[in-house]
Amino acid sequence: MDTEARRGLLLISPTALYAVALLAMPLAAVLAISFATQDFLTIDWTPTLANYAEATGEPLYRQLLLRSVLIAGAVTLVTVLLAFPVAYYVSFYVAPSRKSLWLFLITIPFWTSYLIRVFLWKVILGFNGVFNTSLQGLGIVEEPLSFLLYNANAVVITLAHAFAPFAILPIFVSLERIDRSLLEAARDLGETYLTTFFRVTLPLAMPGVTAAVLIVFIPTIGDYVTPRLVGGPDGLMIANMIQTQFLRLNNAPLGATLAVLSMLTVGLISIAFVLLTRRWGRTQ
Amino acid sequence: MSIVSLRNIEKYYGEYHALRDVSVDIAQGEFFSLLGPSGCGKTTLLRTIAGFEDVTSGEVAIAGQEMAGVPANRRPTNMVFQSYAIFPHLSVAKNVAFGLRRRADIPKQSRATLVEDALNMVGLDGYGARRAHALSGGQRQRVALARALILKPKVLLLDEPLSALDKKMREQMQSELRRLQRHVGITFILVTHDQEEALTMSDRIAVMFEGRIAQMGSPEALYRRPETRAVAEFIGMMTFLEGRAASGTVEVEGLGRAEIAAPEGAVAVGVRPETLTLLAPGETAARETAGTVADRAYYGDMTYYDIALPGTDTRLTVSMKNRLSRAVLEPGTEVRLGWEPDALLVYAT
Repeated sequence: MDTEARRGLLLISPTALYAVALLAMPLAAVLAISFATQDFLTIDWTPTLANYAEATGEPLYRQLLLRSVLIAGAVTLVTVLLAFPVAYYVSFYVAPSRKSLWLFLITIPFWTSYLIRVFLWKVILGFNGVFNTSLQGLGIVEEPLSFLLYNANAVVITLAHAFAPFAILPIFVSLERIDRSLLEAARDLGETYLTTFFRVTLPLAMPGVTAAVLIVFIPTIGDYVTPRLVGGPDGLMIANMIQTQFLRLNNAPLGATLAVLSMLTVGLISIAFVLLTRRWGRTQ
Repeated sequence: MSIVSLRNIEKYYGEYHALRDVSVDIAQGEFFSLLGPSGCGKTTLLRTIAGFEDVTSGEVAIAGQEMAGVPANRRPTNMVFQSYAIFPHLSVAKNVAFGLRRRADIPKQSRATLVEDALNMVGLDGYGARRAHALSGGQRQRVALARALILKPKVLLLDEPLSALDKKMREQMQSELRRLQRHVGITFILVTHDQEEALTMSDRIAVMFEGRIAQMGSPEALYRRPETRAVAEFIGMMTFLEGRAASGTVEVEGLGRAEIAAPEGAVAVGVRPETLTLLAPGETAARETAGTVADRAYYGDMTYYDIALPGTDTRLTVSMKNRLSRAVLEPGTEVRLGWEPDALLVYAT
């Protein structure tokens, strides 16, 4: 090995050690446990696929996983659709000298802890919450609306708010990179503002949109705090079941199996999405 | 009939007066250049023709049609951008075909052939499948040209199209653009700050300073008879000597007396380097002045001498074609300078 390569390895070794110790090893442990079985208080390490049979065969687990995918999908859709106009506005209409101020303001949701933000949504959406009392005060509704909190809608609203900056920033960056003369060239070649957007702006912003989708979708599918606090029984997701298996039912192997299955699901959906957008980019 | 007609164009950006009373008529098939230093308004003028900028007042007409309120995408013009603006997500062929989608008059079946023909025309046959980012600067330029010309615009607008190319490539593209323009017969309007580019390619040039057209004419007229000192300084090389005009003659410092009619008083006398001759021993000229070689710059085909003249600190630049029989003179050599009163350009100061 030459000195250049050795120096490179030395430079990344702290990070690599950290990643191995805190990322790869726990993941390997989860994978290993998923093939074991719980025998009252001890774990039987004989490898078996019984957990996988139970996790895929039991309708409750399938339903929870499907619901997690649907909620995460809805959160991603809402977040990216709302983030795009914001990123577009900041990139195209805000004066260059004010762009960093705008980005700074966009990160305001991060100034308070995630948990507090979730509680704030409880206050806003609750039976006697800000939203309901305002609607009543304005005379729009007689009785407080009860479908706002403790269901899947509340989970989607809360997560979409929490992840908005994660979606805005990558889309903003990809929009910033678009050479503005390309948009003029499209206009010059006969396209209207709208068709220019679909033929030039959007395809060129796709890397940012793809990044935003993945950044929002991957963590939300495994989110556990928000469904627990605002989801009610209909809003519970797979992560809540994993927690229940590990801590309440004392069945770590089944919990690990569910974790592995949800990781596989996220991985497969993400890969499919990336491949699809790449193909779409090529056919343009 | 003129294909582009600009009438009293005024353009303000807030307080800034970008275009001042610009009126131009450009003929069908003409290669017309807008020449000027950066910030003179030449690009703004081009963009008002393309429809990317509104005028504050005045009229833009293309092919007899008033263009007020007609957006860029509905104008019969196409543009080659300074950065070329090649779509990075599309292949070369799709870049060239980009504008065809909007053209109902061009049947779908013939599009592939049109793209091939356009690529052939700019010397890029076989490049259709390449990705745009895999192209060199010169190739991007050709794609931009093909993409615009395939639409057969009434006017092709070129915004400093050669400024990003290296010198060799630039010279090659100059003659190629000229050839292409003759071949397609489309009116070209070129914006450039490079006077050499404008002189070699154009049928007619408008020199612009500070939003105003200072002088318009053929390359030769502009070079031979610049109407103002600013135009004379901008186009070609010129040395200015102080002079004094009185009763039909001008006394030029360093050179001597010349019979030129000029308003009386102090004047600036412009001298082009090639209108002067360094006389070889035995050679004579109608007007001769003695001087000393102060400095010289050897260009291979030409040598430029800075000549110190008696009675002035201004060094007069003289260019001499290099011949085998003529030695390149060393600084310090005493020389005789031959000149003609006809070649002097007199400007009031």
